Amino acid sequence: MINCKWRKPLGIALLVATMASSLVTGCGPGNPAKGTGQEKTGGKVTTIEYWHVNSENFGGQTVRDLVQKFNEQHPDIKVVEKFQPNMYLGLMQNLQAALAGGHPPAVAQIGYNYLDYATANLPHLPVEDAAKKDPEGQAFLNNYLPNILNLGRVNGKLEGMPYSISNPVLYYNADMFKAAGLDPQNPPKTWAEVRDMARIIKEKTGNYGLYVQEPSDNWAQQAMMESNGAQVLTRTGGKASATFDSPEAIEAYQLMADMVLKDKTALHATWEEGTQAFITGKVGMYVTTIARRNYIETSSKFKVLAAPFPTFGNKPRRVPAGGNALFIFAKDPDQQKAAWEFIKYLESPEALTTWTKGTGYLPPRKDVTEDPNYLKPFMDQNPLMKPAAAQLPDAVPWVSFPGNNGLQAEQILLDARDAILGGRQSAAEALKEAVAKVNKLIGN
Amino acid sequence: MKIARETSPRFAAIKGYLVPGGCLAPALAFLALFTFWPLVSTLKLSFYQWNMVSPTPKWVGLTNYLEILRSREFWLAFWHTLEYTLILLALNLALPYITAYILSRLVVKGQNFYRALIFLPSVLSLAVAAVIFLWLYNPLAGPVNALLRLLGLPAPPWLSSYGWVIPALTVITAWKSFGYNFIVLLAGMVAVPQELIEAARLEKASNWQIFWWIVRPLTSGTALYVLVMTVIIGSQYVFVPIQMLTNGGPDQASTNLVFLIYQYAFNFFQAGKAAAAAVITLVIFGGLLFLQKRVLEKGVYYEN
Repeated sequence: MINCKWRKPLGIALLVATMASSLVTGCGPGNPAKGTGQEKTGGKVTTIEYWHVNSENFGGQTVRDLVQKFNEQHPDIKVVEKFQPNMYLGLMQNLQAALAGGHPPAVAQIGYNYLDYATANLPHLPVEDAAKKDPEGQAFLNNYLPNILNLGRVNGKLEGMPYSISNPVLYYNADMFKAAGLDPQNPPKTWAEVRDMARIIKEKTGNYGLYVQEPSDNWAQQAMMESNGAQVLTRTGGKASATFDSPEAIEAYQLMADMVLKDKTALHATWEEGTQAFITGKVGMYVTTIARRNYIETSSKFKVLAAPFPTFGNKPRRVPAGGNALFIFAKDPDQQKAAWEFIKYLESPEALTTWTKGTGYLPPRKDVTEDPNYLKPFMDQNPLMKPAAAQLPDAVPWVSFPGNNGLQAEQILLDARDAILGGRQSAAEALKEAVAKVNKLIGN
Repeated sequence: MKIARETSPRFAAIKGYLVPGGCLAPALAFLALFTFWPLVSTLKLSFYQWNMVSPTPKWVGLTNYLEILRSREFWLAFWHTLEYTLILLALNLALPYITAYILSRLVVKGQNFYRALIFLPSVLSLAVAAVIFLWLYNPLAGPVNALLRLLGLPAPPWLSSYGWVIPALTVITAWKSFGYNFIVLLAGMVAVPQELIEAARLEKASNWQIFWWIVRPLTSGTALYVLVMTVIIGSQYVFVPIQMLTNGGPDQASTNLVFLIYQYAFNFFQAGKAAAAAVITLVIFGGLLFLQKRVLEKGVYYEN
């Protein structure tokens, strides 16, 4: 038998050692957001984190280029970029966990659909307040049109800085159009035409005719429902209620379901799968954001063209303004200052030009789009950017569910989408159920 | 080393506790800190409404429990947990049991080769396995569906179809933990005394009779261990592919109790509801363990 007398102190020593080491790894290094400046000759370096949703095939390299350039120009600030998977929903989830843990990023992209949720639930420094502290702040904000700044406002206050602006367009495979006997110069203008052409593509080439993006948000589906005259969320007075079970909404969703389930001409798959299917030439038409223009253009082996988002007959087109605003979550004054500096850089004409070329997002500043030194030549030359720029006047706000259950409300719409396109429920059934659930969650 | 004897027997008794107690202390401290304290906090949290960010949780009594027990997603998750468990029992208990028997009794050549081959997937991380299967399962470009189409069979979109998503995810988990269960069961089979089997052979017992009357009862202890582990750990292991590949989708068709708890906590930030769901899950699995103790252990043979 081994004598215990020796093991006890040893055990305690081990215990203390492991606890001490776990404490060190728990809150010591590995958290550059804490802003422990590295001493450099002449001053302190403020390290801040920037969270974004730009994966490798969604402008990731462009984010890295921009951050690198900023760091070169600002020796006193070091920005560390961090990609967050699963789009804005995923970013919000990780962000809330980081806030609960006390180490939020200094700057993060907040999708316009989470504007209300972020403002109400997450401690942040409103951009309006950050701009007030800067003597040049007001002059900087004057570069924007009022309706663009409104994208970052909640109840009149500028909470986030509008950064990326996108809308959904219809990309199509011109070579497959030709193979199916369709005219690539005459893309579908209405959803009825989309349905017909999808059928022809399926018959003539055996490929799917259409894929409408299905990431973890309902942006493209909102565009369909509202273009048919529906209203996803109706605000009367100070109260909001979900109204996406109107006959118009049901009709739009049922059309999509019929194409997937009855005609079997549309694909029901995840966003990644759908994108792969389009760029490998297995789907003829693809409704997704203009923000993916660069990736689709560079990875497709065929000729890609784009058309404006289709309408329902003569009804007006209504496309939600997608994209994100930049929010400041830094708490330390030095970091807040650095965060504001970084935001001003990202919104500078040079950086916005790089951003639009690397992704496809429309710049929030009109002076950048029309300046021959910046984006004008590119916008004039690139045929895919034209429909997106042309339908900017049709932009409506992207639905953002109020209250503190906004994340769950969004999930309920995602479940309804699967229920309808997966064939478990009709559009009418699923949307009615979802409206009841969402209204309960947002306090009706 | 010599310990000086004290005259009082009472003191000796205390001392008798002191030494083993001291030896247990480090382990107990860790258990208390990392297992029992979180358990108590979870119980406390389940009576509050809290989004993990706001400074003041709100007391709501039993509301969280009532809302969960009334919700569709909880009962879906409950039935799916049973479904996952049943498939896992087939793939991770029955199948490795049969494989282990075949390998220990009937295969003579290349035993070590087969053992290594079968154990290999166990060393891979489940997250890596999930990503590999994501590629295998791709509905348009994946090799699984390419093969099925080649054979003229229907090729479903595995991860987005209601009926197939649970089997598809379970296969990933089973593929990963098959090897470990197999090795454990094999050890149990090898430990069956050879003389018993030889005696049975002399009596002209068939392979089936040897299996049913000798090997099966003598390995029941090991099998019970694997059974309990499959039931308890299985629902936690399938969490990884669920979280990585489907997020409980399509339309909650692949959610289970463990994923539901995660979703309440870290997707919806309703910590109180998550805690209540965790407590209910604990009660369910606690009940299962109790049942196992009362019913199954009676028929199990332990060597000592």
